[in-house]
Amino acid sequence: MTSKEVQLLLVEDNNDDVELTVHALRRENLANNIMVVRDGEEALDFLFCRGAFQDRSFDRPPKLVLLDLKLPKIDGLEVLKHVKADARTRTIPIVILTSSKEERDLVQGYNLGANSYIQKPVDFDQFRNTVKNLGLYWLLINEAPVTTGLAAAATEAG
Amino acid sequence: MSTKGTEADKESLRVLLVEDNPADVELIRLELQRDGFQVQSDVAEDYAQLEEKLGGADYDLVLADYNLPGCRGMEALELIQRKALQTPVILVTGALGDVTAVECIKRGASDYVLKDHLARLRVAVGRALQETRLQTQKREAEKQLADKVEELARSNRELEQFAYVASHDLQEPLRMVANYTQLLADRYQEKLDANAEKYIRYAVDGAVRMQTLIQDLLAYSRVGRRGLHLKTVDANLAVDEALQNLRTAIEESQAVVSHDRLPCIVADNSQLVQLFQNLIGNAIKFCGPEPPAVTISARNTADHWIFSVLDNGIGIAPEHAETIFVIFQRLHTHAEYPGNGIGLAICKKIVEQHGGKIWVESELGKGSTFHFILPITKPGTERRTT
Amino acid sequence: MTSAAEVLLVDDNPADSDLTCEVLTGGREQLQVRMVSDGVEAFAYLHHLGKYSGAALPDLILLDLNLPRRDGRAVLADIKQNASLRKIPVVVFTTSQAAQDIARSYELGANSYVTKPGNLRDFVSAVKSLEEFWLRFATLPVEENHD
Repeated sequence: MTSKEVQLLLVEDNNDDVELTVHALRRENLANNIMVVRDGEEALDFLFCRGAFQDRSFDRPPKLVLLDLKLPKIDGLEVLKHVKADARTRTIPIVILTSSKEERDLVQGYNLGANSYIQKPVDFDQFRNTVKNLGLYWLLINEAPVTTGLAAAATEAG
Repeated sequence: MSTKGTEADKESLRVLLVEDNPADVELIRLELQRDGFQVQSDVAEDYAQLEEKLGGADYDLVLADYNLPGCRGMEALELIQRKALQTPVILVTGALGDVTAVECIKRGASDYVLKDHLARLRVAVGRALQETRLQTQKREAEKQLADKVEELARSNRELEQFAYVASHDLQEPLRMVANYTQLLADRYQEKLDANAEKYIRYAVDGAVRMQTLIQDLLAYSRVGRRGLHLKTVDANLAVDEALQNLRTAIEESQAVVSHDRLPCIVADNSQLVQLFQNLIGNAIKFCGPEPPAVTISARNTADHWIFSVLDNGIGIAPEHAETIFVIFQRLHTHAEYPGNGIGLAICKKIVEQHGGKIWVESELGKGSTFHFILPITKPGTERRTT
Repeated sequence: MTSAAEVLLVDDNPADSDLTCEVLTGGREQLQVRMVSDGVEAFAYLHHLGKYSGAALPDLILLDLNLPRRDGRAVLADIKQNASLRKIPVVVFTTSQAAQDIARSYELGANSYVTKPGNLRDFVSAVKSLEEFWLRFATLPVEENHD
């Protein structure tokens, strides 16, 4: 799988959480095309098709981004802000998956345009259940935009 | 040459003479009249007058003296070309070397005529006028074509709008019928006798059939209406997407779908997905007693890719091999197999839109193999057609 | 979410909204579902106008797109461009599967888009998934006090 065909981008620096998340998704057969990045800068490189991810294209966005907030280099809310501010990436569904219980983060997350915000359960089983549920909802029930904003505008006009 | 033709017989000719010698002007006018033209002429003696005249009226022809000091013939030619007038220019001159003559023609002059061979004017003028006529016809034909294309595009947009509205407005009441008849069946079971249950079942079936019919019709009309959005597509991913869309059917039938390493091809991605989805979906639907097994492979010739979708289903009798691709043609009743006979018609339309062909090899009871060819397009031909 | 959650359902088809409401409240005692049937009513509800002056802001909005009087897309734009409303998650729940409707909804800020399935079983299942994800697993933004 090249970085072009990623369905789900997981932005998480904690190894245990990465393992748990990927494992939970795999059990539901939802883990075929997951890309994991470990910090905010890599996440932005990926989503903006630059740096190590230059071969990616804006019109094959991931169906979902799972975004932790506490990240090295660039934190989650910054990443969110950049992604939602750019017409090429604005419509990519971003679900914040974080251990933060700060109301400030919650409100800001939604205000900045996060599609959803989920607090990571501490309990192992609950965590797995949460990931399973969010995976099923965002990858199977939710309709993700097929093209990003600009391409969609072109389709409407054409 | 008779000059006694009636005025009506004469072809009218508006000519601009770029010439400062009145005698030459007269000679040329006389010659043109002798050639059967009804001449209306203007004279420009230098560049400024030329510009003025060109700005004022339309001329069928310009006759320009090659060596006029106030305005060389080539300058006149350049001016006319700069103004993007379609008026042909014939250079009239004293002696002219062959090389210069060829040079004039290359630079866009229609012809040249020597002053002491004015008799040639008839042929030269005739040819120049004919050229112009042909150019005008060509431009008109092109405009008509452009108009037709615009009309077609507009008609397509209207159809698209109609299809969208029809589909949405049709689906909503259908859903009401389907949902609530099913709710009736679910919640009033004890209160319903066998007949009532049967009636409800037929109602639900009818609603469901209409729903699939609408969706299939929409899909059919979408092919070709949207034009092709061609780009390099990985056929393996297209198959994966089709399988995702078919996941419920695959799970329920325990189907096993496998494919060789398929190539990257230039195609419309969503149509390619639809194509695979319909073929694989059919293979699953029309399965035999065993769980469906589907294999997809591809091989190429110098200018085609040939894809094959092989299944272990009920097969198709050879006499039906062509009719199954016709829209609404079904080989079974609704009780035997669901469907409305559009799936393969869509496949055929998609393949033919890409410039290919589709056909089936099959025997009753021995499974089927659907083959389709897609021409190999050179890279760089990716484009959007409307 | 432990306190009573409020869901605003914006749909002009009572056949759909009745069923949706039933499925939503089926599993939970503490769920209030408010229903409005056109875009103007939705606007009034969210801005506490007229008969809605005492209304609380919903925790979640399910929004159909094709509404009379004021189209769902306009309602969506209103919500997402309004500083105090935009944090409320809006799930577009509608008949259309058209790519341009999906794309446009996200462009206007929809949090999620779910196409109404055509048969009862899948319809119920979709609403249940909506309820489960948004009201049990997701953390919804706390409503700010308004006066």
